[in-house]
Amino acid sequence: MNPNTPIAVTGIGCLCAAGANLKQCMDSLFAGRQKFAPPARFSSSHPVRYPVFEIPDEFTFLGCDQKSDILRTARLAVTAAGEALGNAGWSPATMQEKRVGVCIGTTVGSAMNNEGFYRDFRRGCHPEMNAITRFLNSNPAQVIAREFGLKGPCQTVVNACSSGTDAIGLGAAWIRSGICDAVVAGGADELCRVTYNGFISLMIADDSICRPFDAHRKGLNLGEGAAVLVLESEDFCRARKQPARAMALSYGSACDAYHLTAPAPDGRGLKQALLAALTACNKTAADIGFINAHGTGTPVNDRVESKVLYEMLPGVPFLSTKGYTGHTLGAAGAIEAAFTIACLEAQKIPPSAGFTTPDPELPWSPVQHETDVNGATAISQSLAFGGNNAVLVFGKGDS
Amino acid sequence: MNTNDKLKDIIIEELNLEDLTPEEIEDDAPLFGDGLGLDSLDAVELVVQVQKHFGVEIKNMEEGRFAFRSINSLGDFIEERIAA
Amino acid sequence: MRTAIRGIGIVGGFGCGVDKLNSALISGENTIQTIRVKANGRKTEMPVFLCDTTALEGFIHKRALRRVDHYSSMAVLGSYLALEDAGMLQINHQKTAVVIATGYGATRATFSFLDSIFADGDACASPTLFANSVHNAAAAHISILLKASGPNLTVSQFELSVPSALLSACQWLEGRQIDAVLFGGVDEYCDVLGYSWQRFFGSNQNPCIEPLNWDLQSAIAGEGSAFFLLTRDDGDQPKYGFITDIQIGHIANGGPDIAGGTTLFLGADGHKLCGPLYPHYIPEGMRAASYTSLYGSFPVNTAFDMTIAALSLKENKIFATPGCRPNKSGLRISHLEQDLESKLIGCLKFGCNGEFGLVMLAGE
Repeated sequence: MNPNTPIAVTGIGCLCAAGANLKQCMDSLFAGRQKFAPPARFSSSHPVRYPVFEIPDEFTFLGCDQKSDILRTARLAVTAAGEALGNAGWSPATMQEKRVGVCIGTTVGSAMNNEGFYRDFRRGCHPEMNAITRFLNSNPAQVIAREFGLKGPCQTVVNACSSGTDAIGLGAAWIRSGICDAVVAGGADELCRVTYNGFISLMIADDSICRPFDAHRKGLNLGEGAAVLVLESEDFCRARKQPARAMALSYGSACDAYHLTAPAPDGRGLKQALLAALTACNKTAADIGFINAHGTGTPVNDRVESKVLYEMLPGVPFLSTKGYTGHTLGAAGAIEAAFTIACLEAQKIPPSAGFTTPDPELPWSPVQHETDVNGATAISQSLAFGGNNAVLVFGKGDS
Repeated sequence: MNTNDKLKDIIIEELNLEDLTPEEIEDDAPLFGDGLGLDSLDAVELVVQVQKHFGVEIKNMEEGRFAFRSINSLGDFIEERIAA
Repeated sequence: MRTAIRGIGIVGGFGCGVDKLNSALISGENTIQTIRVKANGRKTEMPVFLCDTTALEGFIHKRALRRVDHYSSMAVLGSYLALEDAGMLQINHQKTAVVIATGYGATRATFSFLDSIFADGDACASPTLFANSVHNAAAAHISILLKASGPNLTVSQFELSVPSALLSACQWLEGRQIDAVLFGGVDEYCDVLGYSWQRFFGSNQNPCIEPLNWDLQSAIAGEGSAFFLLTRDDGDQPKYGFITDIQIGHIANGGPDIAGGTTLFLGADGHKLCGPLYPHYIPEGMRAASYTSLYGSFPVNTAFDMTIAALSLKENKIFATPGCRPNKSGLRISHLEQDLESKLIGCLKFGCNGEFGLVMLAGE
C-alpha cells in the first residue's frame, strides 16, 4: 500500500469526565458542560486543591465495581476498545480470525508507581506483591489484545502527552505496510497522585478551571480517560460493507530537540510535524476545516501553538477541548482524535472551553462560539514533554 | 551558615552543578539566562528546594522571577519571609 | 523490508563499546557484581549486572549531562557509541529519528520522585525527578544533545518492547521522512526490582545464568543499553548487515516461523516460567546460541542479542555459547567458536505470557 493511502476509521470508543461514551462526550461539549472538581479518589497535602476532571463513579467501565487484577488505566482502555469494536461492527469471532494489532498510548499505565507498596518497601515491611503483579498484568495494549483475543502486534507507546496521537499514526502505518488487517489504536490514562503532584511541582497546574489560550490562563488541569479508534484499510471495510466514520489521511511527527519540559519557543517541531502531515496527504491550509489544538492552558504551550497555527494555518478556526476533559496525558491525543472525527461528522465545533479574553501576545485565538465547519478535513495535534510534536489529519468518512 | 552560602550549596547540589564551587557563584550575578544559565526546570526545582530547606513558599513564577534575579535577591526574599 | 545496520553501541555489565563486547564474547567471563537486598526478613547478597556510564564524559561535557540520570545515561552512551561506530557522530541529525524500547522505563527516577514526596510532603515533590520519570526522558535527552529533530518514539511492552519498537523504526525509514534511526533498548536495575526478585524467586544460588537449563530459575538481574544506527538499504554492504524480518506473535496462534539455515540466538535468560517455551517451539537439532549469561536478565535483552548477531555477521563467526553445565537442550549449541554456516541469524525472545518476538538479521 502507498505510504499515503487513507485508512478508514470504522469505530470509535471514548470515555472521560465529559461522558461514558463518545455520544455523551459530544453532547457535553456542545452543551458547554465542564465537570471539574478537586480529586475525590485521592487526597493531597497541598494547601491548594487543584481541580481535576475525574471519571465519576456512576460511569461504568470494566471492573469498576470490583477489586480488579488490572490497573484502572488498562480497564479504561479495554472499555473504550469495547465501544469502538462494537461501533465498528466487529464480531468477536471475526476479530480473532483476522490479524488485528493494538497500539495504545499511555503514561501512568506503564509506570510502577504504587505509593502504598513503595512506602511499605521503604519501611522494611513485608508488603503484598499484588501491586507488582497487577502492574505486570496491566500493559494497556497487551490487556486489550488478551481481552479480545487479538493476534496482531502489540505496542504501548510511552511518548508522554503525544502518546495517543502517535499510537493512532503508528497503527495506521501497520495497515499501510500490510502487517495487519485492522488496528485498535488509541490511548488511556488514569488520574493519580503521582502525576497530580508532578504537574503541581512543575508549577503548570491551574488552581481553578483551565483557560486554554485565554489572556488570564494560568495552567492545566489533569484529567483521565481513554479513547480508541478501529482502523482498517478501505478495501477491508468496503468488503464487509462497513461505513467509514472518517479517513485517517496522514500522521506527522517531529522533535523540538530543545528541552525536557518546555516547547521550543519558535515551535519548530510543531511546524515540522504539520508540514510532514500536510505534505503526506497533499493538503494545504485551504483544505483544513478546523484544528483540535493541544491547548493545555499553560502560558508557554498556548503561546507556541497560537504562533505556529497563525503562521502555518492562518484563518483556520481552532479550539482546545481540554476545558471539557482536562489534560488526559497519554489518552489526550486519542480522545481529541475521537472528538475531531465526531466534529467532522457533525460539521461543527463547540466553543473552545475556558476562552473568553484574547491574549494580546497571541496572534490568533480559538473559536468562542459553536462554529460551523467549512471543509472535509481536520487536524488534531499534540505536544509533549521531551519535545515531541504529533499531528493527525482526518478526512470525512461516509456519512 | 548564612542564607547566601546555603543557597549556593543547594544550587550546586540539587541542580547538579557539580563542576562549580560556591566561590564561583557571585552573589550579584544573574541566576537565569546569562550568568549561571539556569532554565525553567531549574526555577521550579529551586522553588521546591527553598520550600524544603527554608520553609518559604514561592506561590507563582511572577514571585519567583522577582526573587530569582540573583543569590542576593533570593537570600533577601527568604529572610524577609522568615522574619514576617 | 531490509534495514541496514551501520553502527552498534552497547553498555552492559561487561563494559561499553564493541571492543568490550567482543572481549566478553571471546573470554566468556561474566562480570557479575553483588549487592545487598533486604527481603523476607533478612539481608541477602544478590548477584546483579550493573553498568558504569563514566565513559559518557568522553563524549559530552559534564555540565550538559547534569540532568541526565542513570537510565538516560545508559541510553545516551549507547546511542553515542553507535553513532561513533557508524562514523556519524558529527553529521546533521535533522532527519534522524530516535526510537527506544524499554521494559520498565525510568524506574529509579519514578521511585526517587516518590522519595521526594515521602521525605518532605507533596509540596516538596521534585519536578526534575518527575520530568525524568516519564519514560520518554531518555529519547528526549538524546534528541536534545544531538539536535535530532526527526520523530521520537518510546515503547514499553515488557519482553516484546524491542521487536515492537523496531517495527516502527523500520517503517519510519521505509516512509522516507527520515534518513536514519537511532534505535535502542534500555532497562535499568533498581532496588524495588531486586526486592521483587527476592520475593518472587527467592535467593539465587547459581553462580551464573543457565539459559539452556530450561526448568531452572537461574536468572540474574541486569541492566544496560544496546543501540543501532539504522538506515534504508542503499544498495551497498553495510558494516553489520541487515534486519530483514520482525515477527511478533503469541503461542496461542502458533509458534515463530523460523527459516531453514537460521542460527538462533535465544533470549532465554534463566526464568523457568518461559524457559520451556524455547525447546518446545524450536525444531530439534537447530543451530542455536545463548549469551544472556554474559549480560543478565532484563526485558530488552533482544537488543543485546541483536548487537551480538550484528557483530557475528561482521566477523563471520558464531561466538561460543558460555555455559557452566553440559548442554541438555536438544539444540545444536557450541561451546566453541564456529564459522557462520549461513548468514542468517534470528534473535528469539519469549515473554512469560506466551508472546514472542523474532528479529531476523542477514549478512547480505
